[in-house]
Amino acid sequence: MRICRFGQSLLAAAVIAPLSMAQAQQPTIVDLLQRLEQQEQAIKVLERKLELKEEADATAAKSAGQVKASERGFSLQSADGKNQIKLRGVLHVDGRHMISDEVDLPDSFQVTRARPIVEGTVGGIYDFRFTPDFGQDRTVIQDAYVTGRFAPSFAVTAGKFKSPVGLERLQSATDIRFIARAFPTSLAPNRDIGFKFEGNVLDDRLNYALAFVNGSNDGGSSEAFADVDVTSDKEYVARLFAHPFAASDSFGLRGLGFGVAGTYTEHTGTAALPFLPAFRTPAQATFFRYRGGTTPTLADGERTRLAPQFYYYAGRFGLLGEYTEVSQDVSRVATTGLRSDTIDTTAWQLAASFFLTGEEASYRGYKPNSSFSVENGTWGAFELTARYQELEIDDLAFAGGADSFADPDASARKATSYGIGLNWYLSQNLKWVLNYERTSFEGGAAGGADRDDEEAVLTRVAVGF
Amino acid sequence: MTRSNWTRPLAALLLLSAALAAPAIQAQTLLNVSYDPTRELYEDYNAAFAKQWKAKTGKALTVKQSHGGSGKQARTIIDGLPADVATLALGYDIDALVTQGKLLPANWQSRLPHNSSPYTSTVVFVVRKGNPKKIKDWGDLVKPGVSVITPNPKTSGGARWNYLAAYAWALAQPGGNDATAQAFIGKLYKNVPVLDTGARGSTTTFAQRGIGDVAISWENEAFLMLDELGRDKLEIVVPSISILAEPPVAVVDKVALRRGTADLARAYLEYLYSKEAQEIIAKHHYRPRDSEVAAKYASVFPKIKLVTIADFGGWAKAQKQHFGDGGVFDKIYSP
Repeated sequence: MRICRFGQSLLAAAVIAPLSMAQAQQPTIVDLLQRLEQQEQAIKVLERKLELKEEADATAAKSAGQVKASERGFSLQSADGKNQIKLRGVLHVDGRHMISDEVDLPDSFQVTRARPIVEGTVGGIYDFRFTPDFGQDRTVIQDAYVTGRFAPSFAVTAGKFKSPVGLERLQSATDIRFIARAFPTSLAPNRDIGFKFEGNVLDDRLNYALAFVNGSNDGGSSEAFADVDVTSDKEYVARLFAHPFAASDSFGLRGLGFGVAGTYTEHTGTAALPFLPAFRTPAQATFFRYRGGTTPTLADGERTRLAPQFYYYAGRFGLLGEYTEVSQDVSRVATTGLRSDTIDTTAWQLAASFFLTGEEASYRGYKPNSSFSVENGTWGAFELTARYQELEIDDLAFAGGADSFADPDASARKATSYGIGLNWYLSQNLKWVLNYERTSFEGGAAGGADRDDEEAVLTRVAVGF
Repeated sequence: MTRSNWTRPLAALLLLSAALAAPAIQAQTLLNVSYDPTRELYEDYNAAFAKQWKAKTGKALTVKQSHGGSGKQARTIIDGLPADVATLALGYDIDALVTQGKLLPANWQSRLPHNSSPYTSTVVFVVRKGNPKKIKDWGDLVKPGVSVITPNPKTSGGARWNYLAAYAWALAQPGGNDATAQAFIGKLYKNVPVLDTGARGSTTTFAQRGIGDVAISWENEAFLMLDELGRDKLEIVVPSISILAEPPVAVVDKVALRRGTADLARAYLEYLYSKEAQEIIAKHHYRPRDSEVAAKYASVFPKIKLVTIADFGGWAKAQKQHFGDGGVFDKIYSP
């Protein structure tokens, strides 16, 4: 079949034209390079936008406040950490079982401490704390103070705070090893109202505290006077506490701390407010008080305290010791006229603790290696404790028969106590304490006899966060 | 009952506390919250001022700096950043400290010479070496395929100057009016692939990340890009029309009075007008106010036809019309 020339031309055109068009549509090297550059730019733009978004997110995170809830409590904190408010709490439910029937104290349970604690920081420098206490069926403001931390070596506190004297008193209620604080704490002031200057110097190896306060009774707080001082007499307080080996490489030396505290005031009591203490056993039985009644014994003059103290912690082992001496001028209207004298009262304690489960002992805080969990088969932490303590009142307090400052038939002149205990830390925030305390006395019973020994089993469930 | 004399021991304790606190009071600090591109300027200026302050008063001084988009910085000060002085990109941002923060008096701008602007600047283009996209003037920025880098006028003071300079060019074209200018601005921002929050961010985007064909930039920032990246990689193109930018400075009275730094802050800003400071300003490619220093550096700064903010009715009007919520920028730009 012959194909005419026209047909051949048409056929050729039909084949060649598309090929030419295809060649014309094929991208040139320049086109490809342009497209590549456009793609590169698009990728760079995406990367930059991601970078800017990450920067914006990081900036937003810096200015966002933080709400935290942990074993240390609940807090609301500004992004820079300079402003925060924390809600913490302490709840102590105690039980007492008297083994010795001779002692007239009932077995009982009580809520000893029920303290919501509000504390915080403003401006990164000013700390505040407010602690009401609803335990023992009363309402007391335990702490209400502001501290300006102007430098590590200088902070000023104003308000109601723990007077810087007793070592065990200064230990937090959640950290003390026994249910009842020891006899030296009965001679040291508890909370008081005034000003305090304190700081750490010498590379944090020495802490100093100077306070100027209303002046609380031995073992007492200012709420004994409804938190309002009724005299113009004030108390001067000073304390030094050293950790000379805090930075030492020696494991055995690092945990040693020791110091001394002292107070001075002049107080004159009245029949309504004698300004004199009473002393109680670990089971909370009163074993000494000054005479009351129509001619009570009153504080009348100077009161000085001296309290050397130490602690030592190494690994699982802890040891705390303190000695406190109070020298108190007293007077009483006696049958022979006004009697005055200076009564010296001394107390000391040595308390040891040992973590059976390997935790590290310390003065402040504890962290169990595990929590009690039936599911996980873990038991928390166990700690053995032992303590020996004595308190002795000057014989001068009992001299003078009916004119004595204290009744020897009702008040013991010496109490000696030993206690052993087991602390079970179910978690960072919950512990159960079991103490056995035995206290014996010299004097304190009719005819100059010794008051009956006291044996008690004390228990506490403690929640703290 | 005998009153015990406790006032003397209390006085002694107070004196002791004052003595312990005294060293902490001696050292002074100042916080200068500034806009984005002034980092290098204030690094040199602060060193010079601190030196002369020490020589004059014997007191050591540390000046802390904060930099960011001018609008953002103003917001941060209003929200509580304790700036002793604010050195921002435009007067409106300092006015915001007055109206929204009540941090300084309304007459702040009259407290220092030249409306509290110790230097001026303007807006130019930076392009790749050889100017491959043939950018000569504002009109070239809206051509298809041209990628423009400029910051976000909602946060950046420099971006607002850029925007107004572009708007001024559009108004100056034959038949130019608000409608044509807004249409031009709309096309311009369609060519902007990334909106940084501040001028320094845009510099990073263009110069270091290599994004875009042209950056609309503070004049001083343009020179900085050439100095740092190299004149073999970038070049400056001067548009036919631009805007006279007058970045102002002010003491933030409420903060300075509370911190006890009012005198120091005032001295810090007054020194910006000194010969030494004006030299530093010129060296960092800002146009100095001092006539002698300006004459010395005249050859560095190109001559450009400049509009001013007064041509837009002032900052309050310009902010409301263009950059406020629901303003022109909100209408023409969507991310």
